[in-house]
This record gives sequence, structure tokens and C-alpha cells, in this order.
Amino acid sequence: MRFVEKVCVLGAGSTKYGKLADSIADITTQASVAAIKSAGIEPKEIGASYISNVFGIADKQVHIGPVLMSRLGIPDKPSLTIESACGSGSVSFREAYANIAAGFYDCLIATGVEKVTHTGTEWTTTYFAYCSDFFYEGQAGASFPGLFASMARAYLTEFDATEEDFAAVAVKNHDNGVLNPKAHMQKKITVDDVMNSAVVASPLKLYDCCPFSDGASSVILCSEKFAKAHGGDYIEVTGSGRGGSPAALQGREQMTTIPSTKIASEAAYKMAGITAKDVDFAEVHDCFTIAEVVDTEDLGFFDKGQGVQAVREGRTKLNSDISINPSGGLKSKGHPIGATGIGQVVEVYDQLTGKAGARTVKDAKVGLTHNFGATGASCAVHVFQSV
Amino acid sequence: MSVEEQVIENAKQGKLLTHKCTKCGFLHLSTAYYCLKCGSEGFEDVLLDGTGTVATYTIITVAPAGFEKYTPYAFVVMNVDNSDLRISGFMANIATPEDLPVGIKAKITGFDERGLLIEKQ
Repeated sequence: MRFVEKVCVLGAGSTKYGKLADSIADITTQASVAAIKSAGIEPKEIGASYISNVFGIADKQVHIGPVLMSRLGIPDKPSLTIESACGSGSVSFREAYANIAAGFYDCLIATGVEKVTHTGTEWTTTYFAYCSDFFYEGQAGASFPGLFASMARAYLTEFDATEEDFAAVAVKNHDNGVLNPKAHMQKKITVDDVMNSAVVASPLKLYDCCPFSDGASSVILCSEKFAKAHGGDYIEVTGSGRGGSPAALQGREQMTTIPSTKIASEAAYKMAGITAKDVDFAEVHDCFTIAEVVDTEDLGFFDKGQGVQAVREGRTKLNSDISINPSGGLKSKGHPIGATGIGQVVEVYDQLTGKAGARTVKDAKVGLTHNFGATGASCAVHVFQSV
Repeated sequence: MSVEEQVIENAKQGKLLTHKCTKCGFLHLSTAYYCLKCGSEGFEDVLLDGTGTVATYTIITVAPAGFEKYTPYAFVVMNVDNSDLRISGFMANIATPEDLPVGIKAKITGFDERGLLIEKQ
């Protein structure tokens, strides 16, 4: 592939994640303004927007892009809304990245948003099930916790792992989330808390599951020329990869691996000219504890089946071998599904520009984001380096 | 009849309709329009007995809308006998993992508002 421009992230901002009272249009704008101010640019310098959102209809607002652009005083600038289930943010980021790389724009805004908690647990569970291969899965009563629970049981059957090992992932991510003022669940928990929490879909319990969250995150992408001329803190996007998997779990050769993660990460590593060993920290898609274990294997950080051993040995804790989810991850930071992939980039920007406070990964130079839709049917991975 | 309607009608007879690639012989669920292995378009229908073994499953206690009245129930992924295929479905009256060891024999028994129905053999 040949690119016209190197692509940078020049600014980043998020709302707090959690149960938010403000409307979807309000929080979209709040995060976008935070990113614009972080970048130190004027809205009129933005060429277009990429909006990631799945269930805008739940808050009576689809076609959010023009609403955002109108509020930013640039209603003449184009926008595009992108849906790829829980992976919408990373796919939207990739589209913005590609448009800068190709030279179509010098500066873009990518904002992700979700506003669903007001619909309640039953309806949020129902809406999310529409992201499955509905004919085979959602129609037969599968919820998303249920699909990942099916992966978890397959993992427990195939490898030397226990439910306590999965619980340890939640404990670690909550430890990190306590250090993140934007996190939904700023609360330390223990393995016993997880094991004693209510079963949602066996073997997964409430504390194995990320919360339903509202929230918005936004980043400013630009060409290296634009970033240098501008002079603010920026990081470089050095790798970008996407991949796909069979939509239903039943169609995968193994149900303990997510093919799209492997495809996307291999492409991103190749473009960045690195291997998994060069990654200092990673924001990975831990919608459920089992997912983080599977992700860290599929991304090449650990061999297949060894992800739980790494958790047991504390090798994924903050400032250990490889810091996994220093933000607290989806599990503790929260999972506003359209925002999550962009929120991961916000964390990487903050980490690599010295803005991560108490959860700073020491001496980090290379960060990775990994975000997928549904049970990993779609996935995008990005690699970032400090400059 | 649409492809999905054909799956449903056969499931009601306890059968699984599959598509065998006429070029390379690879077997797919009948919602496949192109061969996963060779990319070709021609299939012949192959009707399998809807029997198999439980590959993995979950017992759902927090259900999507319409399924609350059935909790706890299992969502099951079944290995289909005499093939490399798997099929997913709903299994009623499963409360604990002791009720459903992985590997146990199961079969397709119907299709209704709960989707494709699977029972233990």
C-alpha cells in the first residue's frame, strides 16, 4: 500500500462514561468540543466528521453527524455515521485514518457515542442481541453475555482454566479503573466479589460482564504536516488493520479464538513494522472477562491457552510485562458501544502524551487498540507511537 | 420458500438442511450462497438427521425480551453428526451445568418463537 500522508492524532476528549442524563446530541458535542480544545484547533479547520453509533434510535436521534456539525458552527462540512456493533468506533477511526492517509483531508474529527441505559437492562440486552447472527443466535434466545459465556465454557473445556482465572481479569481492570476519573465503575473488587455476583449467563457472572454505559469520545486526526505546523502534542498512527470472522460462533473452527483479531493485528503489526513483543500497552476489547483472555492470545501477547496463566502471574497488570487495559477497559471504564473504539484511542493519546496521571504506563512508546463488533465478527486494530 | 423458511420447515421434522458444494464437496449450512472453500455457487441439498453432541452452551438467567418466561434455559451450540458443521439452538429446562455435560448427545426437535429447538437425546 502507498499512502500520501502519515496520519497523526492531535487531540482527544471524552465525557465520563456511565449513566448520563444529557441527550445523545449533547454528549456527542461535549466530547467533540473536548477533543477540539485538546488539539488546540478551530472547528473550521475540520474537513469532515466520522460518527460511530449503533442505537441512536433509542434516544430519538439518528443521523447525528449533521447535528454535531451544526452545533460546531460548520454545518456545510460533511459527516458519515458508521455502525459495526461494539466495534463501530475502531472501524470509524479506520475510515477517518484512510481518508487522511489518502490525502482527501488534512484534519478530521472522529466521534463515537452511545446512549442506551435509559432503556433498562431487558431492552438493552435485547437491542444488543440484534448484533448477533440473529437467525441462528438472537432468535434462539442468545444474549451477548450468553454468546461469550459459550466461548468461556469452550475455553474451560479445552484449556487448564477456572472461573476464578476469569474473575482475576475483572479485579485487575477494576484496579486500573479506580485510577481513571472518567470510568463508569471506579470501585475495587475481589475475586470473591466476582464469584459471588449473580449469574447472568453461566459460567459468566455479573462482574465478569462490562456494564451498559452511556458516553462519548472524540479524537482529532490529521496529516503529519498539519500536526507539525500546528505544534501541539500529537502521536502517530503507524499501523491499521481490519478483519472479519464468521458471524455466528457455530461457524468458527475453534470457539476459543477470534479470527478477525488475528487478521487485523497481523495487518497492523506488518504496517507498523513491529511484532506483538514491541507493544508496551494495549487497550483490548474486554466486554467480558473471557474476551480479554482470548484477545491477549489472538493479539500474539501469549500463546493460545496461556492467557489465563499470564493473568494468574499478574503479567498483564499496570506496569508489569504488558499493561493490558490501563484505562480500566470496557469492564471498568465502561462500554458505550459506539464510543468504545474511539475511547481506546483517547486513552492511548493520553498515555503517549503524558496525560494519563496515576495510571501512566511508564516509558511507553508503542500503544495498541483492539476493538471488535459482536463476538468478533468485525474487528479493527491500530498501532500508535509517540513522536 | 425462502432459504430460512426451508431451514425452519426441515427443523420442524427434526432434520437439518445443508448445502453441499457441487464443485468441491464442502458441506455448509443452507444459508450459504457461495462455497467457503472454493467460492463456487452450485449446491445440492443434503438433508441430515438433526442429531449431534453438545459442543458448548450457556444457561441464561438474564434474557432478552420475549425469553423471560423461559428462564433458566440453555443456548446450545451442537456438533452435527456425520459432518464438521455446528448448529445453534434453544434448549428448555436446563438449570445447572450438571443438567448438560459438554459432549452429551442432543437432537433438533422443532422450531418456534424460541428459534431452533434442541433437546437432549
